[in-house]
Amino acid sequence: MVSAFQDPVILNQWHPISSLEEINPSEKTFQTLLLDEEILYKMDKENKVLVWRKGSRDENLPTKLAYGFVWVCLGNPPETLFLFPEFDEPNRKNKATGVIGVNTSAGRAIENFCDMGHFPYVHKGILGEEPHTEVKNYDVEISDEPDEVLATNCKFFQPRANVTSTKGVDADYIYRVPHINCALLYKSSIVAGKLDVIVLFVQPMREEQIRAHTAMCIFDDSSTEKDIRLFQQLIFGQDKPILENQHPKRLPLNPRMETPIRADKTAISYRRWLLNKGLKYGTVAN
Amino acid sequence: MIKLYDYLLSGNCFKIRLILSFLNLNYEKIHIEFYPSEEHKSENFLQINPLGQLPVISDDGFILRDAQAILVYLASKYDKGGTWYPVKNTDKIGMISQWLAFGDSLTGSASAARLHDTLFYHHFNIEKCRAMAHSQFRILDEHLFFQEELGNDWICDGVTPTIADIACFPYIALSEEGGISRISYPAIRRWLDRFKRIERFVVMPGVFPAGPGP
Amino acid sequence: MTNVRENNLRKIICMEKNKIYALRKKWFPIASSSDLVKRHVFQAQLLGREFAVWRADDGNVNVWENRCLHRGVRLSIGINQGSELKCQYHGWRYANRTAGCTYIPAHPADAPARTICNNTYPVKEFIGMIWSGEDAIENDFSYKELSKRTVLRPVPINAPNDLVQKNLLNYYSELNFDGLLLNDGSIEINLGGKKKILFFIQPQDSKLSVVRGVLNATLSDEKRYHFLKEQNFIIERFREKMEQISENLNLEPMVAEIEEISNDLGEPPTKEDCGRKAELRLHVSERILTSRDVVSLKLKGIEGQLPTFHPGAHIDLHLQNGLIRQYSLVNGPGETDHYRIGVKLEKDGRGGSQYIHNNVKVGDLLATSAPRNNFPLRRDSLYTIFIAGGIGITPLLSMSKALHSMELDYEFHYFVQSEKDISFKETLKILGERVIIHKGLSQENTINKVRKILQKPGYYKNLYVCGPGPMLEATLKIASDLKWADDTIHFEYFKNDRKINNDSNFEIELARSALTLTVSAGKTILEILRENGVDLPSSCEQGACGTCKVNVIRGDIDHQDVYLNATERANKNIMMTCVSRSLSDRLILDI
Repeated sequence: MVSAFQDPVILNQWHPISSLEEINPSEKTFQTLLLDEEILYKMDKENKVLVWRKGSRDENLPTKLAYGFVWVCLGNPPETLFLFPEFDEPNRKNKATGVIGVNTSAGRAIENFCDMGHFPYVHKGILGEEPHTEVKNYDVEISDEPDEVLATNCKFFQPRANVTSTKGVDADYIYRVPHINCALLYKSSIVAGKLDVIVLFVQPMREEQIRAHTAMCIFDDSSTEKDIRLFQQLIFGQDKPILENQHPKRLPLNPRMETPIRADKTAISYRRWLLNKGLKYGTVAN
Repeated sequence: MIKLYDYLLSGNCFKIRLILSFLNLNYEKIHIEFYPSEEHKSENFLQINPLGQLPVISDDGFILRDAQAILVYLASKYDKGGTWYPVKNTDKIGMISQWLAFGDSLTGSASAARLHDTLFYHHFNIEKCRAMAHSQFRILDEHLFFQEELGNDWICDGVTPTIADIACFPYIALSEEGGISRISYPAIRRWLDRFKRIERFVVMPGVFPAGPGP
Repeated sequence: MTNVRENNLRKIICMEKNKIYALRKKWFPIASSSDLVKRHVFQAQLLGREFAVWRADDGNVNVWENRCLHRGVRLSIGINQGSELKCQYHGWRYANRTAGCTYIPAHPADAPARTICNNTYPVKEFIGMIWSGEDAIENDFSYKELSKRTVLRPVPINAPNDLVQKNLLNYYSELNFDGLLLNDGSIEINLGGKKKILFFIQPQDSKLSVVRGVLNATLSDEKRYHFLKEQNFIIERFREKMEQISENLNLEPMVAEIEEISNDLGEPPTKEDCGRKAELRLHVSERILTSRDVVSLKLKGIEGQLPTFHPGAHIDLHLQNGLIRQYSLVNGPGETDHYRIGVKLEKDGRGGSQYIHNNVKVGDLLATSAPRNNFPLRRDSLYTIFIAGGIGITPLLSMSKALHSMELDYEFHYFVQSEKDISFKETLKILGERVIIHKGLSQENTINKVRKILQKPGYYKNLYVCGPGPMLEATLKIASDLKWADDTIHFEYFKNDRKINNDSNFEIELARSALTLTVSAGKTILEILRENGVDLPSSCEQGACGTCKVNVIRGDIDHQDVYLNATERANKNIMMTCVSRSLSDRLILDI
C-alpha cells in the first residue's frame, strides 16, 4: 500500500469530488474521502465552493470548478486541467448522471471504461450481444500535446441501434484519457458531424475504493434526464461486480502480470503512460 | 394492470420483478429514482407510500407496499400452480413467513452495507452491518446444507421454490457490493446457482446469470 | 529504538513467510466432494491463495488460480460449461484439464497463436474431499481411501489455523471423547466402537480456518442426518469459543504473490517461433476402423497434460519411416486427455496413410507436433454451414462439436460415396438432426446439391469446406458465384495438387533481420531461410496448411499454394514460403 504523500503524481493532481448539481441548491456540508483523507465541502451563499480537511476548517484547499464538477488538489495544484472544449459548445446538454461507489482502483475503472470487448458479456443486449464479439482493429496513440491516450476508429456491434431496427449496426467510438483518472467517450449524435460525449471522472477515495462520477455532454433532447441517469446507473451497475472481482484490485503496470490481446491496445497504452509518469497510488508495478 | 413503482438498483424491487417474471405477469414499471434525486421522498410519492420506501405496487388501483407483503399478495392471487405460496398448507406457510422475516432483516445488514459502499450512506455503521450479515449468512448456510441432506433444494421443504427464496435471494446475491464475501458459505453459493436456473429468472445489475444447468 | 523494533517486525514477517512457504508444500482439503455439484464453480482459498474449483462433466476436477489471466477477474464467478470454463468479463474459454484458453471472442477469426494457460494446482480426490496445495508434492500424499465414510459439514472459523488445531482435541476431550493429534497435523477423535472422526484443519487465511471432518463409517439416512446435525452442533459451539478467543487478534491477510507470466504473453502476440518439430510423444490407445478405409486413432500422452487445441487444429505425425503427415483433430471441447485423428487409406498416396494403416497398432509410440491451427473457427457467426467431403469431415467435426456445445446455429453436410464410407457415426448421432448425409451423388448432382445449400449467403453467415480438391474447387466457385463474401468462406485442402514450378531465381530481403539471400531454382524460400539459420514454423510444406505464412512488404508474389483465398492473394502481402516464389527480382519479407 502506498500513501498519497509518497506519490507526487497523485498528490499534485486535480481530483473531482462532486458534481456542481449535487451541491448547488443547499448550504449543506458534505463529507467524502480523497486519497485516504476525510474532506468536507459546501457551497456558500455566494455560490463559492469551499473544501477543507476534516479538523482544519480554516484552511481551504485549492479548488477549481470545471466541466460541471468541483476539483480539489491536496498537494501543489497544476496550473491547468485538461481541455474539454465540447463542454462549452452551444446546444449541448451538460448533465451529471450520477455517482457510484466501487471497491476498486481508479485505474481499473478507467481501463474498463475504455474496453469494448466486454460489451456482449457484461452489457448484453444493450452495448453488445453474442455472438457479435469481434473487436475490430483501431488506432491508439499516446500524444504529448495534449498529454493523453487517444483511441480512434473504434467500432463495435450494437444490437439495436434504434427502436425500429432489427439488425444491429457497428457503432463508432473515440476514447480519450486526458487525465490519469478521467476518460471521455465520444460517439455519434443526432447532429451530423457532431459527437456526444460520455464522461467518467474517478475520485480515488483510497487505493482500492473509488467514487465514479459520470456525466453527459450530448445533443439528445428526446430522452428525459431521469432516463439518461437510469441508463448510466444500469451500465455502471453492471460493470461494478466485474470491477470488484478483479485481482489485484490495483492496476498492474508490470506487463507480465496479465495477458493483453490486440483488442486491449488502449489498455496497454494507458498502463504504459501511467508507468512513464511514475504513478504508484492504486497501481502494482512488480 | 399491475404497476410497479421500481428502482433498478433496489434489491427489494428486484424481488417483485422476479416474482412477476416467474408468474409470467405483464406489468408496467414506473421508475422512481432512489438515487441521486431521492424521488421516493418526493411529495408525489409520499402520497402513494407515506413511508417513502420502494417497492409499491398498484393492482388495478389496489395499492400495496413492502416487498414481502407484495410477494405474498401476488403469489396468493396469481400463482395458478399454487407452489410459490401454498395458502392451504399451514405448516409451509408458517415456514415461509419465518424466512420472509429473515429476508426482510437483510435490509438492515447486507443491504445497508451495500448502500454504504455504493451510494455513500455514511450513517450506517458498516462494520456492524457486515458482521450482522455474516451471522445471518452462517445460519442460512447451515440451514441450506441440511436442506440438501434431506433432498430439498430450497429454503422451505418441498420440491419447488417459494417466495421465501425470492425474499432472501437479492441481498445475498448482491452482498459483495457491500464488501461481504460469500467464500465461507458454500451451501448458499449452490443455492444461488439453483435459483438462477429457475425458469424465467431475470438479472439485475450486480447479478450475473448462471450457465445452463445440469 | 525504532530500528530494533523494525528489525524485529521484519524478522517476524520473514518467519511468517517461511512458515507459509513450508505449508504451501503440504496437501490440504479445500472442499468436500459434494461441494462440486454439476456445472458449479466452487470458490476456495488456501493460505491466502484463491482457487476456482470445478468438476467437468467427465468427472475431472480442476483446481485453478481464481484469476482469469487476461484481466484478473475471478473465475469462480464464471460459467462451468461442462467441458470448458467461461469467464464472465470477455467470454474467454478455458479447457478442462489443461486450463488452456480455447477461444478469445474479441478475435473470432484467429486461433490464439500462443497457448495462454491459467495457473493450475495439483488435485486429488480422497475420502470425500478435494485436496490441493500450491506447491504440493505428488508423492507426499499419504491418506488412504476410506471405503466407508461420512463427510461432516465443513465449518469455517474466524480464527488462525494453529489455534484451532491446538484446541479441537481438548474440546472433544471435555466432551469425554479421547483422540490423538497425528504427525501430519490431522486429529483423530474416537467416538467409541470402531468409529472415528478424522479432522483436518484447512488454513484458509491468517484468521480463517475450516474444520473438515470425516467419519469412518457409512450411516443409514436417518442416522446420518442425526449424526451430521450432532457433530455440526459441537463444532459450531467450538467455533464460537475460538472466535471469542481470537476476536481481538489483528492479523494481516496472507499475501498470495502473483506469478509473472512468460515474457511473450505480456505483449500482444507476434509470431510463433517453432519449426517442424516433434515436441510430443503419444501412444496409440485405441485403433478402430471407423468406416471402410478410415482408421480412427486415439492418442494419449505418456505423462502430464496435452497442449490445448482449438477446433480445426491439426498435428504433424512424424512416422517411423521418416514421413511427416498432417492430420486434423476430431476432438470436441473438453476432450483434453487425448487427441483423436482419422486416417484414410490413400492407395495412390505418398505412403503416409499406407504406413499408418499397415503398421501402427495399439501401444505404439508416435512422435507428433503440438496442435497448430491455421483453419480457425469463427464463433461470432449467426449461422454456420459445414460441407465435408469424405475424410474432410475431421476438422469440421471438431468445429461442429464446439458450436454444438455453445448452442450456436449450424448445419453439417457430409458427402460420401456410400453408407460404408460414413466415418465417426457415433459423433454424428450426437450432433443429431443438424447432420445431413448425402450418399453416392454423381459429380453433377453434388454440384447441384451444393448450389442449393449455398443458395442464401447472408448476414453473419459463414461457410467451412473441407474435402477432396475437385469438390473443394467446385464449392468455392459456387460460393463465389452466389456472392458469398471472401471472408465468410473458409476452406482447407488436404494437399496441394497443383504442379509446382520452381524454376525461378530471385533474391529475398529480410526486413527485420537485415539479411539478403538468394533463392535459386529447385530450392524453396523456406529451405533457404532454414539453411541460413532463420527458423520459421512449417508443417505440410506443400502449400496447403498455412503454417509457414509470412508477410511480404514489397515484391511480386508467385503464389503456388492452395491456402490463401482470392482476396488475400489480391492484397499481395502474404505468402507461403514452402511453395510460393517471386515474379520480381526481389521480395522484401517481414521477418
